[in-house]
Amino acid sequence: MFLQIKDLKKSYGTKENKVMVLHGINLEVEKGSICVLLGPSGSGKSTLLNIIGGIDSADSGEISINGSVIQGMNDRELTLYRRDHLGYIFQAYNLIPDLTVKENIEVGAYLSKDPLELDELIDVLGLTEHKDKIPSQLSGGQQQRTAIGRAIIKNPDILLCDEPTGALDYNTSKDILSLIERVNQKYGNTVIMVTHNDAIKNMADRVIKLRDGNIRKDYINENKIKAEDLDW
Amino acid sequence: MKNPLRKRYLRELKRDIGKYMVIFLFMSLTIGFISGFLVADDSMKTAYDNSFEKYNIEDGNFELMYEKTDRMFDDIEDKYADIYENFNKEFQAINSKTKIRVFAERKEINKVSLMSGKMPKNDGEIAIDRMFADNNSIKVGDTFKMDESEYKVTGLVALSDYSALFEDNSDMMFDSINFGVGIVTQEQFDKMSDAKLHYVYSWKNHKKNLSDKAKKTMGDDICKVLVENGDAIKSITPVTQNQAIQFTGDDMGGDKSMMMALLYIIIVIMAFIFGVTVMNTIDNEASEIGTLRAMGYTRGEMVRHYMMLPVIVTLVAGIIGNILGYSMFKGVVVDMYYGSYSLPTYKTIWNADAFILTTVVPCVLMFVINLIILNGKLKLSPLKFLRHDLKARKSKRAVKLPDFKFKTRFRLRILLQNKANYIIMFIAVIFANLLLVFGFVMTPILDNYGDIVKEQMFCKYQYVLKQSVETENESAEKYCAGSLKLKGKDDEINIYGVDKDSKYVKDMKLDTSGNEVYVSHGIMEKYGYEPGDKIVLKDKYSGDEYTMTIKEKYTYSASMAVFMSREQYNKIFDKDSDYFNGYFSDEKLEDIDENNVATTITLQDMTKVVRQLKKSMGSMMPLFSAFAMIMAALMFYLLSKIVIEKNASSISMVKILGYNSKEIGSFYVASTTIAALAFIIISIPACELFMRGIYLYIMNEMSGWIDYYVAPSVYAKTIVMSVAAYILSAVLQYRKIGKVNLERALKDME
Repeated sequence: MFLQIKDLKKSYGTKENKVMVLHGINLEVEKGSICVLLGPSGSGKSTLLNIIGGIDSADSGEISINGSVIQGMNDRELTLYRRDHLGYIFQAYNLIPDLTVKENIEVGAYLSKDPLELDELIDVLGLTEHKDKIPSQLSGGQQQRTAIGRAIIKNPDILLCDEPTGALDYNTSKDILSLIERVNQKYGNTVIMVTHNDAIKNMADRVIKLRDGNIRKDYINENKIKAEDLDW
Repeated sequence: MKNPLRKRYLRELKRDIGKYMVIFLFMSLTIGFISGFLVADDSMKTAYDNSFEKYNIEDGNFELMYEKTDRMFDDIEDKYADIYENFNKEFQAINSKTKIRVFAERKEINKVSLMSGKMPKNDGEIAIDRMFADNNSIKVGDTFKMDESEYKVTGLVALSDYSALFEDNSDMMFDSINFGVGIVTQEQFDKMSDAKLHYVYSWKNHKKNLSDKAKKTMGDDICKVLVENGDAIKSITPVTQNQAIQFTGDDMGGDKSMMMALLYIIIVIMAFIFGVTVMNTIDNEASEIGTLRAMGYTRGEMVRHYMMLPVIVTLVAGIIGNILGYSMFKGVVVDMYYGSYSLPTYKTIWNADAFILTTVVPCVLMFVINLIILNGKLKLSPLKFLRHDLKARKSKRAVKLPDFKFKTRFRLRILLQNKANYIIMFIAVIFANLLLVFGFVMTPILDNYGDIVKEQMFCKYQYVLKQSVETENESAEKYCAGSLKLKGKDDEINIYGVDKDSKYVKDMKLDTSGNEVYVSHGIMEKYGYEPGDKIVLKDKYSGDEYTMTIKEKYTYSASMAVFMSREQYNKIFDKDSDYFNGYFSDEKLEDIDENNVATTITLQDMTKVVRQLKKSMGSMMPLFSAFAMIMAALMFYLLSKIVIEKNASSISMVKILGYNSKEIGSFYVASTTIAALAFIIISIPACELFMRGIYLYIMNEMSGWIDYYVAPSVYAKTIVMSVAAYILSAVLQYRKIGKVNLERALKDME
C-alpha cells in the first residue's frame, strides 16, 4: 500500500487542558487514488492531513509513504521529504503577491529535479492568458488554479488539499475540483483532500469520515462520478 | 534552475524604494566618508612615513646655551651620530601675536618640501610654512615686516621636522595660527639679528633602521656624553619625543579606531533596523512562508531569501561608498589634514584594508545580525506560519493594563506590540544624541578652558629666566620652575616652587620641607589620584626619579602642575637655598636684561591649545552635528514607518469604523511620539555618562588636560535637533496613515 497509517494519536495541550484530536487512526491509501477526508470542524481531518504532510507531528503511531517512515525524521529530513514527495493546496491560496502566475508556479518547479513542462501545465490549468498577472489581478478561482499549478508542477507523489474550495463559489469550486481530478488522471498523483462539503465525496475513490478524532466511516466509493457532475 | 524567489528582490526594492534609498544613501555616504578617511589617512601617513627618508629627518636634536667649540662633538660623532647645525632665530612678524622661527636653507638634513612658489634665492626673500601662511592669509608674492626689514614670500613650504607647528616641545598643543617656520638663504640668515638665536644641533644616527626604543636609548647616550663633557645643554629631544615631528604621525592613526567604531555602530543599528523590517515582512507573509515551507523549501532557503536585500544594499553601499571615498571624500579628509598639519605632498594609495573594513566587514556584520534575527524568526514550524502563530513564546494572556482612559490603553498596547522597534529606537537615539552632543560640546569646552585659564593666570607677566637675576620691581615675586615627566606617562608636568605666602599662587598651605605637594586637578582627574597618594616624577634627561605625596588637589587648568614651596623645591632638586629661575609680576619688569629672559609666558601662550583645537576640529564639528541629525531623522522615519505598516490592516479597519486620519494618528503616531520624546529625554543623562567616558579617553590620548564642561545650551540644542528630526518623521507618518486605504482591511478579511 502506498500510504499506511498505523494507530496515529495526537493531542494538544497538557494535563487538564489536554485535548485528544486523533484517537489512534489506522488507514491505508492506494497510489493514484483520490481520497476525501470528510468531517465537521474539530473532527481532526486537517490535523491528520498536516501530520501526513510532515508539518505537524503525532504523539504516537506510524506513517509510511511508499515504504518511508516519517516518524523520527528531523526537521531537515522532513523538509526533504516534503520537497520530494508532497504538494500542498490550501484554502487561502497563499500565493506570493509580487510574483506573477508563471513565477508562482516556478516556485514549485524549483523544488524538483524533473518538473513538469511549465507552459503545458499552465495550459492545463487554463491560465495561459493570465500567466503574467500578479495574484491581486486574479479571481479567487484563478488564484487557486495557480496554487494547484505550484503544487503539481513538481509532480509530487501525494497532493494534499486542505479545503481547496472553501473560499470559492459553487461554479468555481466545481472548476477547481475538475482540475484536481484532471491532474490526478493525467499525472497519477495520489490526492488526499480535506473538506467539510459532503458532496465532494462523490468524486473520490476512497471516502473517510472523521468525527471527534476517530474514523467513523471508511469505504471505497463504488459510484464515483465526475467532478463536473457534482451538485450541492 | 535558479530560485524564482530571486525575482522578488527588484520588486521589493521598487515597492519600498523610499526605505531602501534612505538606508542606502546613509550607508554609502557614511562608508564613503570613512573610506575616504582611511584612504587619505593611509596615503598621508605613507607620505609622512616616507618623508623621514625622503627629507632625511633628524634622529634627534639638542640645544646648547652657546655655540659649540672645536672638537666638542668628536666623541658623539665617533661613536653615535653625525651632527648638523640647525640654528634658528625667532622674530615677531606679520602681527603682534605671531612669531616666525627662521632657519637657513637646508641641504643635508630636515629638508624642505616646496608646496608652491619657489625657494628664496636673495636677501629679503623667505619661504614660509604653508599652513601658517593660510592661517594668516599670506600668499606667495606677499610681503611682511620682520626684524625691521621687509620680506617677500617666494614660496610656501613644509618643513619635514615641523609637520606639527609646536613652538615648544613641552606645549600641550601646537599653534599653527600664531607660530610658523620659514626658510631664508644662509647669507640672509647670517645677517639677521642674533637676539633670539638658538644653537640647535640635529643628529643623524650612524646606525640606520633603529627601533623607536633604540633611537631613544641613542638619545640618552648622546645626552650622557654631552653632560659628561660639561656642555651647557638647554634641551635634548630624540626624534621619538619630538612632538613637532611625531605628533602628526601619532594623530593620523589615532582617529582610525574611533572612525571604525562609528561606522560599525551605524551598521549594527542599520542591521537591526533591517532586522525589524524583515521581521515585519515575515509577519505579513506568514501564510506564504508556511506554504513554501510545507512544499519543501528549507529554512536555510528562506533565511537566504530574506537576508539577500539587506546584504546586497550593504554591499552596493560599500562599493559606491568606496568610489565616493576615493573620488570625493578623500579630498575632504586630505584638506582637513592639510588644515591641521604641515605635511608634504602625497600620492593616493590603493588601500585594500579600507575596502575590507568599509565593505566586507559591514556586509559580514549585516549578514551575521540578520542571520541571528532570521534564524530565530524562521525556526518556527510551517504550521505555525500557516496559522500566523509567530510568537516563539506564547504569552498566556494579554498584559493587564491599569484602568486608564481608552486612548491611553490603546497607545500602551501599541508600545507593547512594537517593543522591539522601540528598544532599537532607544539605542539609536542614544547614539545619535551622543554624536550631536559631541558635535556641540567641543567648542564650549575649548571656550570655557580659555576663560578659566585667563581667570587662573597667576599674574600678568610670568618670566622664565635663563639665570637668576634680581629686579627692583616690588610687584615681582620669585619662583622656581622645572619640568618632569609623570613616570610611565607622556605627560609633561610643570614643577613650581613658590613663596610660602605667595601673593600670586594663593590658597595653599605649603611646607618648607618634606615631600608633600599640591597637585593640579587635571593630574588628579586624569589619573585618578587622591590626596595621600604618592606621585612619581622622572627627569627625562637624567632619569632621576622623585616620589612625592599629594597633600591636596589644587585647581589650576593652564597646565598639569605640581606646587611646593621654594624651600622644598631647592631641597628636593638639590639647588642652592636662594635659587630661583622666574618671576611672577603684574608689572612689566623693565630692569631685567632681555638676554636673561628665556621666555615670558602670556595668556596667548597658555591658550594656544584652544586656538589650534578649534582650528583643527572646527570644520569637523558641524559635520558631526549634521550627520547625527540625518541619522536621527532616518532612524525615526524607518522605525515609526514599521509601526504604521505593521498596523496597516488595523488602521484600515478603524477608518472603516469612521475614525479620521487625525484621530488614527493620535493613536499610532502619538504612541511613537511619546516613546521618541521619552527616549530623547532619557538619552541625555546616558549621553552625559558616555560623553564623560569618551572625553577621558580623548584626554588620555593627548598630553595635558582640558576641563570637561558642558554648556547648558549643548543639551538644549541636542534636544531641539532630535525633536526636529522626529517631527519630520511624524509628518511623514501622518501622510502614510492618510494613504492606507479601506480595501486593505477588507482584503485581509478575505
